[in-house]
This record gives sequence, structure tokens and C-alpha cells, in this order.
Amino acid sequence: MKRLVPFVVLALVIAATAAITSIGLMDVLTGTGWAYAVEFLGRALPLDFPPMDEVLALSARTLSIAGTATLLSVLISVPLATLAAHNTTPHKAARTTSRAVIAVARALPDVILAIVFFRVFGLGATAGVLAMGLHSVGMVGKLYADALEQTDPGPATAVRATGATRTQTLLAAVIPQATPAFIATALHRFDINLRVSVLLGFVGVDGLGLATATALRRLDYQRGLALAVVILALCVLLELVSGLLRRAALSTRRGWGLTGALFAGLATVAMLIGADLSLGDGLGRLGATAELFWPPIAPTGVFADLLATVRMALAATALGALLAVPLGVLAARNVLPRAGGVFRAFIVLVRGIPELVLAIVLVVITGIGEAAGTLALAVGAAGLLGKLIADSVEEVDPRIEEAVRATGAGRWQVFCAATLPQAAQAMTGHLLYQLDVNVRAATLLGLVGAGGVGFVLLNSARVLEFGAVTTVLTLLLGVVLLIELLALWLRRAAA
Amino acid sequence: MSVIRFDAVGVRFGADSALDDVSFSIGAGEIVALVGMSGSGKSTLLRQVDALHLPSTGRVTVLDTDTTSAGGRELRALRRRVGFVFQQFHLVGRLSVLENACTGALGRIRGPRLGRVSYPKAVRAQAMAHLERVGLADRAAQRADTLSGGQQQRVAVARALMQDPEILLADEPVASLDPETAVQIMALLREIAEERRLTVLCSLHQVELALSWADRIVGLRAGRIVLDTPATGLGRDEVMAVYSQVGPTLAPIR
Repeated sequence: MKRLVPFVVLALVIAATAAITSIGLMDVLTGTGWAYAVEFLGRALPLDFPPMDEVLALSARTLSIAGTATLLSVLISVPLATLAAHNTTPHKAARTTSRAVIAVARALPDVILAIVFFRVFGLGATAGVLAMGLHSVGMVGKLYADALEQTDPGPATAVRATGATRTQTLLAAVIPQATPAFIATALHRFDINLRVSVLLGFVGVDGLGLATATALRRLDYQRGLALAVVILALCVLLELVSGLLRRAALSTRRGWGLTGALFAGLATVAMLIGADLSLGDGLGRLGATAELFWPPIAPTGVFADLLATVRMALAATALGALLAVPLGVLAARNVLPRAGGVFRAFIVLVRGIPELVLAIVLVVITGIGEAAGTLALAVGAAGLLGKLIADSVEEVDPRIEEAVRATGAGRWQVFCAATLPQAAQAMTGHLLYQLDVNVRAATLLGLVGAGGVGFVLLNSARVLEFGAVTTVLTLLLGVVLLIELLALWLRRAAA
Repeated sequence: MSVIRFDAVGVRFGADSALDDVSFSIGAGEIVALVGMSGSGKSTLLRQVDALHLPSTGRVTVLDTDTTSAGGRELRALRRRVGFVFQQFHLVGRLSVLENACTGALGRIRGPRLGRVSYPKAVRAQAMAHLERVGLADRAAQRADTLSGGQQQRVAVARALMQDPEILLADEPVASLDPETAVQIMALLREIAEERRLTVLCSLHQVELALSWADRIVGLRAGRIVLDTPATGLGRDEVMAVYSQVGPTLAPIR
């Protein structure tokens, strides 16, 4: 099995190269792209911002929807993760079942959930909140279970030794240890949901995304780009606030607990009012709606569209990696202790550019197409991947590096002899994870006009051909499953 | 009358035998030190007494409860009456000293608790009193991970006192501490044991400390009891034999 690894890797590299060339990125970067850019800027400038109160109302709406969705995912994830973590689960069967629920939540794309829930609950916040909330359980639940499993078992043993019940032990000794990780994960997901909610605006989720989609559909680029700037500002703002909150959660100072709880409570109430949820008679319609999605219909050319989405994801991952691997390595503290700061700052900057803003700009600049989606994804991938790679380089055993350094080796000799071999496996894992993320993201970007199955979804929802949604869902699940199997196999074979 | 009684207890983890045909009993108020090399089965034996792990064969009877036949509720009731102090203190570092001490009361107050104010006032007052006893009343509001090792172990002792235990178990309680602090903690344990007439079983690997501290020494080697004698009049060399003898059951050195 091990002998196959180089061939599989080579095949992936060839596929990625083919994807990059076939998408025609070069045309975009040279020649025609610039002409479009100049023309587009002519039509988009000056930016036309809506009145301030409307900007605030739209921002509040978007934040409320993304926040409530995150809250929902946290509320589901805490008990689910408790059942799924090996040190807190009451039974093996409960563990397997809840792990499966988490995996399914992760596999169901939020855009498809949104399309379904719009049929059930109608336009408004409910569909978006449910779609993002349920899909987020896939990430939040998994990371919460990991956080529970990483707690020190000592305090739990000690509390159990006092005669405490299972639930008492969980609350007194396990949850308090995992709380900082819980908060950090929730904030991270809030950040993701904010960006996703804007993209879901293109299928009807209320807020800034919907306003942007409407403006672009009217070909009102001045308004559309202005709203994109608002979204960018909101993302940066949230990044700053969540950084502060994360630090507060980890702080050793007392008193933060009460302040934090008060703040969280107020924020929750504000969010719930802002999201203005109502289930209506939606639950009664659930059965009737489900029938709409059966039997599956294969829209013409759906396989070509799927291929386009996968191609975008593959090319974007490869391009992102070309940028992220050197960037991540240079940013690692154990490679360049001082100069690395510059690269770290650059990664943060790239992370801050929401893919949506980029995608809109690129889609408009290059004309509707895959190349734009690929570039947008590649930049997004470079940010996330750069950070993950820097982390995996920093997590290597420093004693081995020291041993090599003690032989008189130079900085890059140490890197190649001790650091890289230790980090290689984690780096491969991150690359495949990024590919998986990109398949989902490429689907979402299809909504904005990047083509592929996302575009099919948008159209079939618009013309009420819900059978096509089922087909696309099945195909996407197949692709994601394939990638997951590949990752699993590579991990086993390379170990 | 014995409060702890082992009858031909065997504990296996897969193919490995951690305890092998162990029989002994400890009477009320006895202060016993358990000595032996790392991996000789000291921790396993202590965990048997608190029913944190059940024997593969044989029978463990603690305070008239047979751990092999007792249900979950009975085992929790038993654990309530047995205090346990660990080598690594096992405090929740992010929580306050007071809240860590309060967790010792969970066995008798119903329902899960999270946060200092979720414990009844009486429990908090009691925790303060125990912290006072171990000399840490002024640190009650501090986070547990800001304390030194010796202080953390005092908090762990206060937590055990919250149970109002009849038996106190300690698993290498001073192995992570400097010699001076170790002597202080052992003195505190002895004082508390005498004040409250506790039965104490404490594993130690400092032989001198064990000899001067305990009334009785039990030696374990490769999961078997190889020494069980009063501490008075016992020489250092006799105890050291527990460590140095290489018996046929020991794994060869690779």
C-alpha cells in the first residue's frame, strides 16, 4: 500500500496542474482581465452607500442571523459532544451515534439546507438560521468533542472519587477545563457564519447578502460594491471583537467571568430580537416539502458542472498551497523567530479578506466564470492554509531540532532534517482538509456566478425544480466522501 | 474490625497482571504506608479501595461494602466516605481555590453544579473552614493554577475533608514536591488523620519518610505483597529489600 503513495500524490499534482491550466487563469491575470477591471471600476465608482440607518439595520440583521445560527449550533453541540467524547460518553453506542450525527451535519451543505428550509419556513431569518445552525454542528460538535477529550483526566477522577455522579463530575471538572476552547470555537464559527450568511443572501437569506445580491442582479455595481465594502468592514470588526473576547476568556484575571456572562446574555437577547425568528406553520409543511425533492432530476450537464466545481476546488487548493506552504513555513516561530512576524501579519491580513467580496469583485472583473471563483478561493485558502501550516510547523518536537542544531547544522539544515519530516504528515492532512473545504466553498461561490453546481442549485431553486437539488446533494456528498476516504487512506499508508 | 479488606484480589489489564492474589486488611484508625517501585501496583491497589476500578478476581470490602457486588449508587455512597489525594493534585486550574474545595461536597448535595454561587452557602462556609485548616483561607478567591505545588496539594486535602471521610487514601501525595514541602504536607496529613481518627492508606516511595510517618508498612512488588509489618523497629534495609530484590516475576531489563 505504501508503494502507491507517490503515485497517488503525483496523480493529484497532475490533476491540479491540469485544473489550473484548463480554467484559463493566465488570460485573467494578463490581457483581458485588466480591460474588464478598468471598465468595471468605471461603472462601480463612485460607490453608492445606502443611508446610514439602512446600513446599520442591514448589518444588525446579518449579525443577528449569523449569531443566532452559531448559538443554535453551540446549544446542539454541547450535549452532542458530551455524548461523542470518549471520556464523557455514557455508552459506546451513544458515542458512535453522535459521531455519525456530527458527520452528517458536516456533510450537508448549508446552501442546500437553506433551499430546503426556505420552502418550509418561507423567506426571513428562520431558514438561514436553521441551515447554518445545523450545518455548523458538523464543525462545532467535532471540535467540542475534541476539546472534551483533551481535558486533563485527573480532576475528573478526583471529583468522581468524592462520590459525585457522572453529570456532577462533567460540570465540576470537565466542562470548566474545556470552556476556553468552547468559546474560541464558537467565535471562530461565528466568523465563518457571518461570511456564509452573506453568500446565502444569493439564495434569499436576509441581510447584507440579500441586499448585495439584489443590487448586482439589477446591475447596480455602485451599490453592490459599496455593500461589499460594508461586509468587509463588518468582518474586520468581528475579527477584532472576537480577538478581544478570546483573550478575555483565557485571561487569568478574575471578574471576567461575570462581565463576560453579562455581555453574552445581552448579546444573545439582542441577536434573538434582531433575527426575529418564527416557525409559522412550517413544521406542518415539512412532509409536503420533502416530497418536492423526490424523485431526483438530473439537470442537463450536471456532471460537467460538478466537474467544474471540483476543478475550481482543486486548482484553488493547489494555488493556495503554492502561496501558503512557503508563507506558513516562514511564519512559524521556530523557523524565523524574529522576521516571521511579517509573514504572520500577512497571513492575518489575507484571512481578513472575505471570499465573498473578492469573488464579487473578481466575478465582475473577469466576467462570470470559473477563473474568478478559483482566484477568490485560492486567496481564501492561502489564508487558512498558511495559518494551519504555520501551526503544524510550530508543533514539532523542539528537542529533535535542538539535537540536530547541536551537530552544528544551519537553520535550513535543521528545518529539512528535523522540522519538515515531523510536520509533513500534519501538512498533508491540512492540504486535503483544505480541498474538502474548497469543494463546499466552490459550491457556495457558484451562487455568486462562479459557475459549477452552485449555479445549478441557484437556478433549480428559482425555477422550483427541487429534484435537481437532491441530485446535486447526492453528487456533492459522493465527492466529499471520496476526499475523506483519500485522506484516511493517505494517513494510514503514510503512517 | 477491619475497614478495608482484600481477599485474593487480582487485577488484570489485558494480558498484564497489575495485582496478583493480594490479601490483607486494615483496621479502623490505622495509618499505613504502601511502598514499592513504580509499576508495582500501588496506584491500582488504591483505586480498588475507592472502587474507581473493580477487581478482575477476588473481593474488595471497604466500610462493609463489597465493591464487586455494589451498584453505581452504592459505589458513589462509598466514595463519599473515602477521601482521595493524588500526586498531581488534580485540581481544575481555571477554577477558584474555593470552588475546587466545594467539589468535595458533590457526593452529598444533589444535582450538577457549575460556578461558585451554585453551591449552597453552608457548603461554601464549610469549604472556607477547611481551607482555613490547611492554611489557605487567604487564597480562596485565587485561581487554583496560580498556587505552588504544595499549596495545590493543600487544596486537594481540603477537598477531601469536604467529604467528611472515614478513610483517607493518598497516591504519592508528595512525589511532585520539594523535600521540605513534602515533610510539611505529610505532617498535615498525619495531624488531620489523628484529629479525625481517620484510617489512612498512603503510597510513598521515600522509604525514610514512610518509616517515620506510618504505623505500618506494606510493600508491593510486581503486584504482590512482599512486606507487611509494623513500622516501629523496622530498619531501612528491610524496606529497601522491596525495591532491590529481583524476583522471577519481574520483566527482564531490555
